[in-house]
Amino acid sequence: MSRDVIDRIRDAMRVVIDPELGENVVDLGFIYEITATDGVVHVTMTATTPGCPATGFLKEGVASSIAEIAGVEAVDVTMTFDPPWTPSRIDPAVRAALGFDNVN
Amino acid sequence: MIGAKISRWTMSYFAAALGWLLVALAMLVGGLGYPAAELGAPDTLVVVHAVCIGWLSLSVCGALFQFVPVLVARPLPFDKWALPALFLINVGLVCLILGFLSLAGRIAPAVWLLPAGSVVLGAGLAMVALDLGLTLVSQPKGSALFVIAGLGALCATVALGVAFAFALAGSAGAYGDALLAAAIPIHAIAGLGGWLTLTAMGVSYRLLAMFMLSADLGERQSTSALKFGALALSVAVVGGLFAIGLEAGLGAVLIVAAVLGVISLALYGRDIATIYRSRKRRQLELNMRMATVSFANLAATVTLGTVIIVSGKVGVHVGAFAFLAVFGWLSGLIFAKLYKIVAFLTWLETYGPVMGRAPTPRVQDLAVERRSEKWFIIYFLGVWAATIMLMMGEGQAFRGAAAVMAVGSIGIIHELVRVRRLSDVAGSRRLPAGAIAPSLLFARN
Repeated sequence: MSRDVIDRIRDAMRVVIDPELGENVVDLGFIYEITATDGVVHVTMTATTPGCPATGFLKEGVASSIAEIAGVEAVDVTMTFDPPWTPSRIDPAVRAALGFDNVN
Repeated sequence: MIGAKISRWTMSYFAAALGWLLVALAMLVGGLGYPAAELGAPDTLVVVHAVCIGWLSLSVCGALFQFVPVLVARPLPFDKWALPALFLINVGLVCLILGFLSLAGRIAPAVWLLPAGSVVLGAGLAMVALDLGLTLVSQPKGSALFVIAGLGALCATVALGVAFAFALAGSAGAYGDALLAAAIPIHAIAGLGGWLTLTAMGVSYRLLAMFMLSADLGERQSTSALKFGALALSVAVVGGLFAIGLEAGLGAVLIVAAVLGVISLALYGRDIATIYRSRKRRQLELNMRMATVSFANLAATVTLGTVIIVSGKVGVHVGAFAFLAVFGWLSGLIFAKLYKIVAFLTWLETYGPVMGRAPTPRVQDLAVERRSEKWFIIYFLGVWAATIMLMMGEGQAFRGAAAVMAVGSIGIIHELVRVRRLSDVAGSRRLPAGAIAPSLLFARN
C-alpha cells in the first residue's frame, strides 16, 4: 500500500463536507483508518452524533468519492462511534477558522 | 442504527402549525377572545386551542417525529401513522373550534361538535404519543425521559379535555360537570407545563449540545430538573383531581406544584448556562441567539408568575402570564429551532444524496441570518409589548402589538419558505447534477 494511494483517497474524500460544520470529513478528523489492498479500499470513519440523519449520507458520500478514483474496484466504509469524535480531532487550522477555542 | 432517516411528514406538520399560528394571530388582531372577552369565554377558547394545539403541539409533534429516532438511535415503529395522525388532529381541532364558536353563538347551535372533535383530536394525538412513546421507552434516559414525561402529560391533558368537551355538551354526568367547574387549571398546567414545556426542555438539552458542540451534561445533573418537573406535574394533576374529588379547594395543591415547578426551571436554567459555557463554538448562530431570548422570556415568565402569586393578583394577570409563556418562551423557542431544523433537513434532503459526487453548500448557506434577524426582533418586540398591554388592560393597544407579532411571524415564515426553495443558495451549487429541489410541504424520501 503506497503512501501516494492513501493521499489520493484522502484528497478525494475532501469533497464530502459535514453539513453542520461546513468543513470536509478529513480535516474534521472523521476518518479513523484507511487501508487499500489490490484495488479494495476500507475506511473506518465516524460522525459528530450517533443517530443523526446526516450519518448515512456521510458514509455514502465517502464511498462515492473514493469510487471515482482510477484503479479502485471496491470500497467498504465502516461507521463507528468508538471512540467518540471530539472537536480536538479537527485540524488545528480548520479549528481556528471555525472559531473554536478552549479545545484540548 | 447508524443514522435516522429523514422524516417524510415533519415539514407537513410545520406547515400546518404555521398556518394555525397565522389564524390565531389574525384572531388576536381582529379582537377575538381575551382581552376583549373573558379568559374562560368560548371566543378565548377558540384562540387558546388554535395556538396550543394547532401551532405549538403540531410543531412539537413534527419535530419529535424527526428527533426521537436521533435521540435513541432507533426507528419509529409506526411511522406510517404520522400522516393520518396529522389529518385527525387538524379535523378534530376544526370541529373543536366550531364547537366553541357554536357555544359563543357565532354559528348555528352544534355543541355535539365539541365531544366529536375532542375524540377525533384525541385519537390523532394518541397515535403520535404511542408511536413516539414506544420508541422512547426502549432507551429511557437523558432527554428521552423528558419527552416520555411530556407525552404522559399530553395524555392527561387530552383526557381532561375530552371530559370537558362531553361536559360542555351536557353528557358527562355529575363528576364531569365537577371537573369542568374546577379542573381547567389542571388541564392548562398539564398542557403548557407538562406536555409543551417538559418536552421543550428535554429536546433543548440535546439540540443545544449538538449545535454548539458542548459536552453532554451528566445523566444525574440533567435529570434533576426533570424529577422536580415531573413531581410538580404529578402534584398538580393527581393531587388536583383528589382535591376536586374531595370537594376541597385547589389552592394549596397548586401552590406546592408551583414551588416544585420553579425549582425545576431554576435547575434547567443552571443546566442551560452550563451548556452555553462549555460550548466549543464561540460564534452563536441566529437560532441559538434567538433561543437565548426565549430562555430569557422563560425566566421573565417565572418572575411574573411569582410576583402575581405573592401579590395576590393571579386572577387579574394570569392572562398576561400565560401569554408570555406561550408566545415569549414556547413560541420563541419553536421559531428559533424551526429556523435551524428546516434548513438542516432541507440540506440533507437536497444535498445528502449527492455528497461525495459534487461540491455542496453548507447548511448555513441556505439561510441569510442578517436578513432573518430583524423578523425575530420584530416578533419579540411585539410579544413584550402585547404582554405589557395585557397587564395594563389596554385592549386596543394589545391588538396593535399582536399585529407587530404577526408581521414578525410572517417575515420568519417567508424566510423558511425561501430556505425550502433554496432561494438563497447561489450559482452552480444550488442544484448540482443529481440533486432534486425539495417539495415545500414534505420530504421526498
